[in-house]
Amino acid sequence: MSILFTGRATGAAAKKIGLLRRFIMFWLNHARQAVASLGELWRTPSASILTIAVLGVSLTLPATLHLLVKNMQQISSSFTQAAEISLYIREQTPANQVQSLVTILQADHDVAEVIFVSKQQAMAEFKQISGFGAALNYLDSNPLPDLIRVLPKNTAPQAAETLLQRLSNERIVDFAKLDIDWLTRLNAIVSMLQQAVAIIALLLLSAVLLIVGNTIRLSIMNKKDEIEVMKLVGATDAFIQRPFLYTGVWFGVFGGLLAFLVVELMLWWLQGAISNVTALYQSDFRLMAMSFREFIGLLLIAVLLGLTGSYLSVRRHISAIEPTGP
Amino acid sequence: MLQFDQVSKSYPGGFVALDRISFRLEKGEMAFLTGHSGAGKSTLLKLISLIERPSAGRVLINDIELSRIRRSQIPYVRRDVGIIFQNHRLLMNHTVFDNVALPLVIEGFTGKEMVKRVHAALDKVGLLDKVRCLPATLSGGEQQRVGIARAVVNKPPLLLADEPTGNLDPDLSKDTMRVFEAFNQVGVSVLVATHDLGLVARMKYRTLTLKHGRMINDGLLQYQEPV
Repeated sequence: MSILFTGRATGAAAKKIGLLRRFIMFWLNHARQAVASLGELWRTPSASILTIAVLGVSLTLPATLHLLVKNMQQISSSFTQAAEISLYIREQTPANQVQSLVTILQADHDVAEVIFVSKQQAMAEFKQISGFGAALNYLDSNPLPDLIRVLPKNTAPQAAETLLQRLSNERIVDFAKLDIDWLTRLNAIVSMLQQAVAIIALLLLSAVLLIVGNTIRLSIMNKKDEIEVMKLVGATDAFIQRPFLYTGVWFGVFGGLLAFLVVELMLWWLQGAISNVTALYQSDFRLMAMSFREFIGLLLIAVLLGLTGSYLSVRRHISAIEPTGP
Repeated sequence: MLQFDQVSKSYPGGFVALDRISFRLEKGEMAFLTGHSGAGKSTLLKLISLIERPSAGRVLINDIELSRIRRSQIPYVRRDVGIIFQNHRLLMNHTVFDNVALPLVIEGFTGKEMVKRVHAALDKVGLLDKVRCLPATLSGGEQQRVGIARAVVNKPPLLLADEPTGNLDPDLSKDTMRVFEAFNQVGVSVLVATHDLGLVARMKYRTLTLKHGRMINDGLLQYQEPV
């Protein structure tokens, strides 16, 4: 396209090229420039490796924290099995009604296990544990109620809560209690950790953005003369920008890969120590590694950060360079 | 083709580089622009290549006013104007081929068409055998000719040269000027800024002379070379 000379055939567009061919050429050109940028990195290995290392480390930390939270969740989910509902039976309920409730509960789909504790058993246990011993003999009657302990099948706090609601509606149940406080506390701690991890990850990821931006800025400054010449022979800003954007993308790719390798190495290193600990606790805890989806996610985030960082830098600095004269 | 209409350029601080310059360069015309250093030759060329904008007056190429050209359109204007620089402005870490091919790559040429054009341009300046060399291994004259090849490789209708013979010995200067003549003969408008008055006088072309930012002569230069 010539602005000054209408009809002057300029550029490849002047040659009649089919749409499909032009489409293919477009992608071919991009691929070529991507490879050219890679070559540029290859030619300055020390600087490139340093930048990539910094990016890798910056990305490793959020990735590690993410795995930490993921494994924490796994542990806490194994704890939830302790959730147990206690049903206190109204006083003066005939024993056969209590027995029939136990039978009903045993048949209930939401219930895993039912344990009946009669008031006599409870008293005997209380005498033993509390240490009041003989003092309790002075009581006229046994003040303790009958108790049915119910283990729900679904141990998630929410599900246990609904089961609790349902069971407390039983006619002979005085009140039902679910020891859920410590569970909600644990969940709160886990979610707090998650948020802390999110904040730290955000900080580190912005560090990646700044590092890429600054590295690209330096390489733009290094190529100031070249950029001036390109502008003098008619290169658009977009054309000059492209190699730098690809450099940013490559930084992202390599930084992400490095972070993945470091995380894997760390897991492999820790595996032995963790299995020692879990063996002592007789737990079947197994350290979860990064899944394939998480790996792809990590790479995507890294590439996106590299691209954004270089874009921010390129936009500011390339238009600022103007040729000063023939 | 190229028209200056009462063009002035002053820089901050009050220095007047060009003072009400008017002239016209027709299509296919070749002219020299002379004057002492500081007379405003470079400023004039900068106005044409849109490196600077005039303080007053109008610069027109092909009847299109350059002040109407938006910043984003400047690259497209520069593709229509081949510029040769005194200090070559080659990319030193790229081969001669890459340097000459740069304007073509920018315009989206690829493959055989690009190679064909680069070879044609280098052939015209007699450097076809140096295609794979780095500019640093070439002599000053050869580097200058690489710069010329780069300026003409996309066949611009207007060619500007700023002191193209500045660092060359008389024989090389003459050769370089012949190259310009050859382009002029195929219809390219050529404007050469130089202070080599002897060469200018011998070539017998229209000469624009600047002094302190004013045009003091427009026409054939009468100059007798000291014997």
